[in-house]
Parts: sequence; structure tokens; C-alpha cells
Amino acid sequence: MKKIIPLMAVVLLSVMVLSSCGYNSMQEKEEATFKAWGDLEAQLQRRMDLIPNLVATVKGYASHERETLEAVVEARAKATSTTINAGDLGNKQAMEQFLAAQGGLSSALSRLMVVVEKYPDLKANQNFMDLQHQLEGTENRISVARQRYNDAVSTFNFSIRKFPNSLTNSLMLHLERKEYFEAAEGAEQAPTVEF
Amino acid sequence: MRIRYFCLIVLITVIVTSVFSLEAPLLNKRVNDFAGMISEKTEQQMTQMLYDLEVTDGTQIVVLTIESLEGEPLEDFSLRVAEKNGIGQKENDNGALLLVSEDDRKIRIEVGYGLEGVLTDLLSGRIIDNEITPLFQQNNYDEGFLAGVNAMIGAVRGEYTTESSSQSGRGFLSRYSNLMFIPFIFLFGIFRFASLLMIGRRRRGIIPMILFGGGLNRSSRSGFSSGGGFSGGGGGFGGGGASGGW
Repeated sequence: MKKIIPLMAVVLLSVMVLSSCGYNSMQEKEEATFKAWGDLEAQLQRRMDLIPNLVATVKGYASHERETLEAVVEARAKATSTTINAGDLGNKQAMEQFLAAQGGLSSALSRLMVVVEKYPDLKANQNFMDLQHQLEGTENRISVARQRYNDAVSTFNFSIRKFPNSLTNSLMLHLERKEYFEAAEGAEQAPTVEF
Repeated sequence: MRIRYFCLIVLITVIVTSVFSLEAPLLNKRVNDFAGMISEKTEQQMTQMLYDLEVTDGTQIVVLTIESLEGEPLEDFSLRVAEKNGIGQKENDNGALLLVSEDDRKIRIEVGYGLEGVLTDLLSGRIIDNEITPLFQQNNYDEGFLAGVNAMIGAVRGEYTTESSSQSGRGFLSRYSNLMFIPFIFLFGIFRFASLLMIGRRRRGIIPMILFGGGLNRSSRSGFSSGGGFSGGGGGFGGGGASGGW
């Protein structure tokens, strides 16, 4: 009996100390970044799923835009093969590669959408209009999901840096800061239109 | 050091955008015609339709017209309005917003998480392209809004689908849905006609007319438009939907 009381006191004290020094909240925030990342990844996947259909439709009307179409297919293949695990979100290099692959796909797609402007028949095609709405919708979702992921990352990164969480983290949890999902250089540049 | 700069830039952007961006209005009606594009009759009709939808399905759809986006991206503004007002029930995220900016001639349907499966991007796009835009191009805004709201309601109930809106089925379905309004319009017309006759027969002069008109107004409102008020249930949005213009 005499042994149990100090043991209980230690347990109680450690629970109180741990909860006040961010042991739980840091992990909660890390989970939030994982969730936000999952959402973002799902939207990126959705975009890749739309591409085969898009390419097939455009090909039917604008077959001599082979170069642009091939660039899209290649960029998609590259983006499909470049993946990143949730555990690697703190890995700067892995994130940069992932961003470059997704950015490459974004710019290849936007070039395709510019080329398409030359084909009124294609633009009037119901199937193409549907695809265009789906693609636009997906791009919009990606941008929303990206913003939410970056917000979650900034909340998490701050939570592991502030005192006394930083102490808890360096002694016990060893969580590493996560990388932001920012557009790779050049990827966000809109393609130039030549008339 | 780079992070610190980044944080600073983020902070500045947040402050700047919060100061300069168009403020998302708090909506307390189902049909919020800030740009004055919709006639009173149509507004009442749509309010009633949307009220009925919430009663039967719990789904909340809100219509908003604004005069101008003042340079703000349509999608950003629309998402902010939808989130600020929490359109849809919190547990189902079953809300949608039909936003029209008059000067920009832009239309957006913003779809909550819970409705993305039925009111897909594709379907939202078709509603804008095939139902709303053709009527807006003829300056027939009332009909355009009605067709759009009608199609959105059909979509969230699973009645307006890609098959039924394809070339062969579309004509029938949209004609059918338009026909549904005819009894209402008739009823409304009869009310008006009867009241005019009664006014003419019973008394003349301006004061009784106002009195009688006021009474009629109230009776027609109670039968035609109830549940004008709106309060969001806290539904969540993730950027689903479609944009278009006329």
C-alpha cells in the first residue's frame, strides 16, 4: 500500500505535466497535417485519373498537337511514379521532388488547355466541356486542399517550436517539422499564348 | 532565417487580403438578391422551393447575387461565403451555393462535401452551361435562376443526372420541370385577377385598395412563401463545384 501511493502520485503528476507541455497537442496537430495531406493527395490523384480521358478526347479533334499531348502523358507518368509517404513529409528533398513532378503536370496541362483554344469543335463537344469542368473543379479543390495543408503545417511547426513543447519534443517525441506544399519554381507560371 | 521571412510574408498577405478583399456577407435568407436581378415573385417562388427542400431532405441551398467581385477571384469569394454562413448541416455537409456576379457576368455553383457525390463538378458545370447560361444570355434572369435552382434541387435529390440531361433526355426533363411551374403561375394569376375584380366591385378609392391589397399580400404570402429566414447549420466545403459565365 505504501508503494502504490507514490507510484500513483508519479503517474498523476506525469499525466498533468505531459498534457500541459504539449505531449498530446503536438501529436494531435501532427495528425491534422497527415489528414490534410491525405485530402491533398486524394485531389492530386483525382486529377491524374482525369487525364487519360482528357487526352483521348482531345486527340480525337486535335491529333496534330501530338507534342503537347505527349508532354501531358509523360508528366502524368512522372507524377504517378513520384510518390511521398506521410512519414516523409518532413523530408525536404522528397517533398521537392514531389512538388516538381506535380508542378510539371500542372504546366503541361495548362499548355494543353491553351492549345485547345484553337479548336472550336472540340470546345463545343459535350464530353470535353464535362472534362473541362471536372478538371477545373479538381484544380480548385487542389488549391483549397493545398492551402489547408499549409495551414496545418504552419500550426504544427509552430507547436513543436514553442516552449515548453520544444523541450517535450526534443526529449520524448522527436517529431520533425513538416515541409510546406508550395508550387515549384516555374510551375505556376502561366504559359504564354502566341497568336 | 528563410522560415522567418516566409512567416512574415504570410502574415503580411493575411493582413493585406483581410483588409482589401471583398467581405463575405452574412446571409439570413435563402435567396439573397443583392444585385437586384430577380423579380419579387421569382424570389418568393425560389425561397419556397428551397425551404421545401430543407424540410424534406435537410439539404440547404442558398442563392446569392452580387453586383461585382471587385477583382476578387470568383472561387475564393464563393468559398468564403459558403464557409462563413455554414450552408448545410454540420454532420452531413449538405449545402450548396449558387452565386452570380452581375457585372462580371460570372456564375458559380459551390458544393459542400456531402453533396459532391450527387451535385458533381460535371453536373454543376452542365447546370451552368445548359440551364442557366442560355437564359441569362437572353436577359431572362428570372427563368435562368429558376432553371438553375430547379436543376440543383433535382441533382441533390438524385433526379437530375448525367443520363437525363444528355441530348435525348434533356429536352423532356427540362420541359417537364418547367411545366411544373405552370399550375403555380396559374394559381397566382387567378388570385391576382380575382382580387382585382373584388376590389373593383366592392369599393373604390385608394385607401381601401391599399388596405385590401395589403390583406391580399399577406394571404398570398402565407400560402406561397413561408420559411424566408435562413440560418446555416455549419456545413463544410472543399472547393467542389463549377464556374461559368454568360
